[in-house]
Amino acid sequence: MSRLCLRSIPRALLIASLAGTLWLGPDGAAALQSGDAAPSFSAPTLQGRSLSLESFRGKVVFLDFWASWCAPCATSLPLLDALRNEFGPDDFQVLAVNVDRDPDKATDFLTKRPVGYPSVSDPEGELPVRFGVQTMPTSFLIDREGVIRYVQRGFRKGDEDALRARIRELVARGR
Amino acid sequence: MSRLAALLLLLGLAATSLPGCASVRPWEREILSRRDMAWEPDALEAQRRNHIYFSKEAALAGGGGGGGGCGCN
Repeated sequence: MSRLCLRSIPRALLIASLAGTLWLGPDGAAALQSGDAAPSFSAPTLQGRSLSLESFRGKVVFLDFWASWCAPCATSLPLLDALRNEFGPDDFQVLAVNVDRDPDKATDFLTKRPVGYPSVSDPEGELPVRFGVQTMPTSFLIDREGVIRYVQRGFRKGDEDALRARIRELVARGR
Repeated sequence: MSRLAALLLLLGLAATSLPGCASVRPWEREILSRRDMAWEPDALEAQRRNHIYFSKEAALAGGGGGGGGCGCN
């Protein structure tokens, strides 16, 4: 091996390790944005029956990715339930996707803080990859045609007011 | 240390450190979100300790804020 070649090895290693770090950093899937079509899926609920996003077509849907360990989710869940009751199930529905590795933890959470809307369980995290979830919680407001109209990243008390206005606008569009 | 030994050391370091690179995706942060995994599990206690530290040491680096070491700010 030539002297020049030997000298270039540390540099190549450094570049390779930096490239590797950058490659591993961001998640591969692109985050879905407003205007993208929501991917259709079917998954078992925490109670075990199968539920698909397609079954809500024609309604405005708030697809909420949550976990029992996610602190802002404890804030958002009851507020989303209130929004659902406010607009009524004919026009607006919340579909939650629980990403707990252990679905029993989600069930325990919902026993303490019950909500009226269904939660599908995705312990392997396939759906957050498909939707490109970048933070917890992330939610997608989907219109009656199945197009994402708003992406809510994170949740703080008070966010429900802006959300209510967006839902109202989408609900009114289809009437 | 010879050039070859340095190279081997570098290769060894790369081989041991690269497998340590792993991305934790947002929905996989269950263990990291636990209270005992926090850098400062108790924010109030950390603030109290920090306050005593910069009052006693007259050192402001981490604690921020002004003061002459009396602990009254």
